Amino acid sequence: MLTPLLTRAGLHTPPTVRDRVRAGMHLHAVLGALPHLVRLDEEAAGIARQMGKVNLEFRVFDGPKVILAFEDGRIGLRRDGPSCVGLFFPSCSALNQMFDGGKVTPIPFKNFVGHLKALQLLPKLTDRLTHYLKPPAGALDDLAYRAKHIELSLLVGLAATQDLVEYDPKVLRVARELHDATMEYEVPGGPVAHVRIAHGRIEAGAGHLQDPSTTITIKDLDVALGLLLGTVDTFAANGSGDIRASGNLHIADEFNNLFDRVGLYLK
Amino acid sequence: MALYNFTKSNELFQRATKVVPSGISGNKNPAFAVPGSFPYYAERGEGCRYWDVDGNEYIDYLAGYGPIVLGYNDPVVDAAAEAQRKLGAAFNHPTPRAVELAEKLVTMIPLIDWCAFGKNGSDVTAYAVQTAREHTQRRKILKVKGEYHGSQSWSRSGLGGLIDSDFEHVHDFPWNDASAAEDLFRKHDGDVAGIIIAPYHHPAFANQDMPKPGFLADLRRICDKYEAVLILDDVRAGFRLDLRGSHEYFDFKPDLTCYCKAMANGYAISACCGTNLFKPAASRVFFTGTYYTSAVEQAASIACLDELAKTDAVGHMMKMGTMLQKGMKERAEANGLEVTISGPPTLPFMTFANETNFRRSQRFSGEAARRGVLLHPHHNWFIMRAHQPKDIKKTLEVADECFAIVKKEFGG
Repeated sequence: MLTPLLTRAGLHTPPTVRDRVRAGMHLHAVLGALPHLVRLDEEAAGIARQMGKVNLEFRVFDGPKVILAFEDGRIGLRRDGPSCVGLFFPSCSALNQMFDGGKVTPIPFKNFVGHLKALQLLPKLTDRLTHYLKPPAGALDDLAYRAKHIELSLLVGLAATQDLVEYDPKVLRVARELHDATMEYEVPGGPVAHVRIAHGRIEAGAGHLQDPSTTITIKDLDVALGLLLGTVDTFAANGSGDIRASGNLHIADEFNNLFDRVGLYLK
Repeated sequence: MALYNFTKSNELFQRATKVVPSGISGNKNPAFAVPGSFPYYAERGEGCRYWDVDGNEYIDYLAGYGPIVLGYNDPVVDAAAEAQRKLGAAFNHPTPRAVELAEKLVTMIPLIDWCAFGKNGSDVTAYAVQTAREHTQRRKILKVKGEYHGSQSWSRSGLGGLIDSDFEHVHDFPWNDASAAEDLFRKHDGDVAGIIIAPYHHPAFANQDMPKPGFLADLRRICDKYEAVLILDDVRAGFRLDLRGSHEYFDFKPDLTCYCKAMANGYAISACCGTNLFKPAASRVFFTGTYYTSAVEQAASIACLDELAKTDAVGHMMKMGTMLQKGMKERAEANGLEVTISGPPTLPFMTFANETNFRRSQRFSGEAARRGVLLHPHHNWFIMRAHQPKDIKKTLEVADECFAIVKKEFGG
């Protein structure tokens, strides 16, 4: 309620579309990968366990918010609900700067004194996530690392489509026409991820689905990596067998309109 | 029989991916059919059959996505095209063939007084839309949700290369819902130039839907009421339902009509036709392209339309299509499967009932292709004059095998 008043008074400039979309993706999709990180990486799970039970809120002024619920080394993610401690960012661009590696210090709020340990451990956890999402030199040569990198990146990319649907005006026309569906992405013997599309909302998750509307089978981790980096032409890969799509391909085509666009916002 | 393999198709495609975006662009990209079980490249055709680059022979029900209406390499059409080719293909000017073809269409299609020629369906649907806007001096065009009117920005789905303003003045209403169309006229009071509509709803990835009684007449009435233009996009169905145009088959009167696929048996030509009322507006729209006046295709079209008329091709295709539709349903039932056959007999389509993800269709079509019958899993099929009862019989024998495979793999 305060934001429109501040804006009218010239005391606040609303975020640009790009900043708003990126901020949402950073909180919902990138931090959204933390529950998967602790499943895939024992070190991360250990850090999460040390953080104890805490509902940690990230809030951005005139922007998105998310609550990470830590308990027994597992992490849940909610867009709303109660929290016991929070980190406040004055703007979407400030949050984005932090995710881009810039020096930004968020403002702790609520009972931050009571949760100092969790707040101190959080950077260690996000460092583990960065380790997998931004591969250090040579890391991709390790097959196990590569599989985790691809699974987490795929989950980030799939989840990021939700913020496109909500805040990128360019995709609104396409988003309005999204059919309810489920899509599964699988690298045989490797990562499996999926999306559920219902009433215009998109939820990403790991693992198989029962009878998905569409199945995208990616030949191997190299092709999957190329797909994520945008170096693989999906139509060419379909014809050559590097990617096998089956089921309702119309839905795959609709969704790919969004998925292909994530790379414009997240590197 | 040994099932087909597609080694050369795959090799060519690999080469293509290095020099052509997506390897093959648009709806002919393998991704839209059954990659790995469909041919990617054709070599030659004859009648209702063609051979791919691996030498595999197919009874074809896709007909080049529609243009092959008589059959591949029809000798009469090819002779007419060859005779014109010897005289010259493209000149600084049109040839007499342009006038002759226009006169033929105006005679064939009772409703129309003039026509203009392009190369593809998109050329003429875009021209019709511009003519409607010019005639009415209004901006808005109404179309049925999910209907395809060509690859130009205003009618294409997706995001690639498109900007919001491409769609700013294009609005959708549901098929068979004339009152929703009229609501849009009220909403955009005084700014609707016209409605563009296919004679029946033939989207990909869905069953085809015929017009409810009165729907097309209602659109006519609404266009009259609001002094807007009714455009018939007959690109896909034109001359496969009625040689006088699909509006005669469905008994309604559009103002402008667009034809392409069945005009010239595979030679690239399209036409926008209209009544005299719209001729001044059509004249004011600058409509041209380097090859729009090419004479070979016009000569081919004259010969094709003559052949269609002379041999009652539509009547024959209706019989063959009915035989195919009935046979498919019976063979499916005999295998314990339920299918939905939709669309008119000359442009039939089949889906498996109670299935929305097309997996059975993809399996069925992939197996059929590997046995020499090309039936698309997501796009309507096309009957040609060249299809004969023996081809339909062979097709149904193959279908029987494929239904059995589907039944075994998926159950009922």
